[in-house]
This record gives sequence, structure tokens and C-alpha cells, in this order.
Amino acid sequence: MNDVRLGLSLARERLRGTTAPLVLLLSCATLFAIGVLERQTDAASAPDDALGGAAYGIALPLLAYLVSERVCSSERLQRSADSLARYGTDRRAAMLGLLLASASCTAVVGVLLSVATLLGAHGLHSKALGADLRTCVGIGLIAGAVYALYFGAASLLGKRGGGRKWALIIDFVLGAGSSALAAPWPRGHVRNLLGGEPVLALSQASAWLALALIGVACVISSLLKTPE
Amino acid sequence: MSELRFEALNHVELVNVDATFSAGMHVVLGSERDGTGTLIALAAGMLDPARGRVLLDGIAPCSDARSRGRIASLFATETLLPAPDVARSLALSLRARGDARSALSILDNAGLTRFAKQRVSPLTAREARAIALCVALSQTEPALLALHEPLSVTDILQEEFVLRTLSERGAAGAIVLCTASRLQDATRLGGNTSALERGSWLGPGQARPPLSNITLRVHTTEPRRLAARLSEAPDISGVEWAGGQELLVHGRELDSLAHSVVANARAEAIRITALKQDAPPLEALAAARAGLAQAYYERARGERPQQ
Repeated sequence: MNDVRLGLSLARERLRGTTAPLVLLLSCATLFAIGVLERQTDAASAPDDALGGAAYGIALPLLAYLVSERVCSSERLQRSADSLARYGTDRRAAMLGLLLASASCTAVVGVLLSVATLLGAHGLHSKALGADLRTCVGIGLIAGAVYALYFGAASLLGKRGGGRKWALIIDFVLGAGSSALAAPWPRGHVRNLLGGEPVLALSQASAWLALALIGVACVISSLLKTPE
Repeated sequence: MSELRFEALNHVELVNVDATFSAGMHVVLGSERDGTGTLIALAAGMLDPARGRVLLDGIAPCSDARSRGRIASLFATETLLPAPDVARSLALSLRARGDARSALSILDNAGLTRFAKQRVSPLTAREARAIALCVALSQTEPALLALHEPLSVTDILQEEFVLRTLSERGAAGAIVLCTASRLQDATRLGGNTSALERGSWLGPGQARPPLSNITLRVHTTEPRRLAARLSEAPDISGVEWAGGQELLVHGRELDSLAHSVVANARAEAIRITALKQDAPPLEALAAARAGLAQAYYERARGERPQQ
């Protein structure tokens, strides 16, 4: 347990600095602006369009990718805790700490992005704002966490964790569809939760489950591939 | 008593390294290009060997966290753990090691207190190595100290402190495995010396053979007559003639051998059309280089003032 905490501390130190909050602030501001623009075009579909397109379609995967890159210190996931492992820390436990930190950080990012987008798309006095916020907090939390775990597991591949880049591209390309090819990637299931086209005609309840399964599979593969 | 063993180790530069180390000081002469950096990283359990095994008391440190916890290390390139300042970076290292002491006391003991409040990122590579060495030397009961060029940072960390601590650790039963690219450093570290030559391991016994045999290829129009003449010359150890116009002439020293061949040919009025040295095998060159290094090392050691 102490080694997991050490991994969390390492991740916190790696994320420390002004760059991460600045990027998050800029992203939120951009999404707010996009929400406002969407509202001016078509107020009824603005929240769905802004959330499904800019927020969860582009911003969240990109930010999750950047967080993962930073937490892993641009290394392979197995090697990302080596700076602690040299002192006798269990690599697996420390790596789990890194993944936990990355997942919780990206989950919060998901929530903040949703809030900024909805504030722009609805306006402060909209009656639907409260209900949409409640729904999107849950979706933001799970989507953020699953994306972080997904990029973490992808960092197992490649010389310096280059699998992350491929994971981003594959999620963009294959996840955009609704066939069986889209099933292993988070994008299609997140879209389903937001009311978009489902993958393999799955229900929204199944989409929650599918995301949870992707997250669990990523954690298990990360643990199996990392030596003590 | 601890034991570190490399078994048929092959990894990047290292070729089939077999060696065993027990408690005390061991110095490996060689540069990073020869594989010393890789050797230390493997010994410290930070790399999984491509082939072969690294065992500390029978356990591979690469896949055993507890075993790694008994190793203090200094690598060729060091990056301190991320933190706002050096003291907090060290505090995280000490926490990972399960060491309750404060970072300040560790730095103070090594005379590096001035770094405590400095930011980590602007540190130079040498400063980062000096601080990493300070952390390695502060480990109380290590089974192994695997240190890459520990005396290369003595302008930052006092040499006397480094040598004294290493000596204490060795006397307490730890294996102290250091690398040195300079003979002077190896001399100051003392202990058993071996060498790495382009990835090949040269134990103390192997580091000696000189480049003792020189072969000249002599082209002449009258090889039979010249061979007969040269076979009687005292400074020529052998002559080979396979039937063509080329003779292989063996001896010990290049200058005297060439001089003898020319003098004998001139005396018999035999024309030599070409004369060149036969390239020695690479193994002989490597062994000669290591032998030379060993000779320099021993001479430097003999000149070391008694303490």
C-alpha cells in the first residue's frame, strides 16, 4: 500500500507546475466558447453537439493523452516507476499509483470540461442545465478515468510508450464507427452515453458496463506486463 | 556474506560476461562505450538482461523489489525524482527506501547542504550525479553498492568522504562494485581490478598477455633463397613459405624484424618487392590493450603514497 502511495506522490510531482492547469483552463474556455456558438446556431441541439463533438470527441481524449504522457514521464508504463523501483519499491504497486493518479486527474478534467461546455451551450438561467450537469458529471468521471487507463495500458507498447499515440489515432478512427470494430475503444461507448449512435446497438446501461470492462482490462494488462 | 554473480550475461555492449563478486571493493576499468554503464544498471536491477542472469545472493534484482532495496546505485546518467527542490526530491527517495532520516541530514553529512533549497530541474548532470551518489552512500546496510564512476564528481562531493564511506561499506560486508574509466581513479579506489574491453570481460588474470608475436609478409622474386637465409638469422623466430612469392616472417619486435629482413636480403642481393606487417587478430589487440592498461594501473598503484 505504501508503494501505491509512493506512485501517487510521484504522479503528483510529475503533474505539478503551471502548464497543466493552464492547458485545462484554456480548454475549458474554448469549450465554453464553442458551447455559446452552438447555442447561437441551434439552441436545442447545442449541448449534445458541443459535448459529443468538441468536449468528449476531441478535448477529453487529447487531455487524457497529455496527462498519461506526463504521468509516465514520456516512458513506457513498465519503466515509468523505475525512479522509485531503484530504491526497492514494487514497480507494479507504484505503477498502480501512477494509473490511479492519472485516472482521477483525468476524471476531474472530464467533469470540468462537461461543466464548461454545458454552461456555454445552455446559458446560466436554463432550466435544463441542472439535469444535464448531473448526468454529465457521471459520464465525465467514467470517461476520463477510462481514457486515462486506456492510454496507460497503451503505454506498455513502443520503445518509449509510443503505443499511446497509436491508441489515440485508433480511438479516433475505429471508435467513430458503430460496428464491432468500435467496441474495444472508449469513444463509441462515451458517445452512446451522451445520446449518440450506440456501438453494436448496445443500451446505455451496457455502455457503462463496456467502459468499466475496458478500464478493468487495461488495469489487468498493465499489472500483468509490469515486473515487480 | 553477499555474492553478486553475472552468468553468461549478454546485453547491448556486453558479450558473455561471467563474473562473481564477494564482499569488498571491486573496480571495473573501462569506458561507457565498453559497457560499464550497462553493467552497473544490470547489477542494480534496472535492466532485464537480454540473455544470461544477474543474481544477488541467488535472486535476480530486476524482478525482486526486496533485493533492489538492498542495492545502492549510481548510474551514468542520473535524474533526481521530480520535486520543487532537492531536499523534497531526496525526501521522496528516502521514503521509497524506507529510510526515516531527513533529507537535510543526508545532505549535511555529505557536505551538500547548499543544494537543499535548489530547484531540481536546473541542476547540471554532474550535480545530479553527486546528489545521487550522496543518497547511495547514505544507505546504511546495503548488500551491494553498484556505482558508475563514483570519483568523477569529487569536485562536488569530497573524495575523502567517498573513499572512506566505500571502505566502511566494504569492511561491513557489502559488495562495492565501481567502474572507472581513468587509471588514477581505479588506483584511488583500490581493491580487485578487472576490465571491460568493448563489452568483453577481462578478469585480472586475462588482462596481461602482451602482443608478443609480429608477422611480416615479405614479397620477393627469390623466396627460397631468402627463406634459407632468414631461417638462420638470430632475431627471427620462424619463416613460412607456402610456395608462392610471399614469405611469412615471425619475430618479437617490429623494428628489429624489419631491419633483419632487409639486411639479410641486401647481403644476398635479393630483391624485396613488398614488405608489410600482418594484422594481428582482434582478440590479441584487445588483450594487449588491456595488458597495457593493467601495467599502467599497477605502476600508478605502486606510486600511490602510503596512507
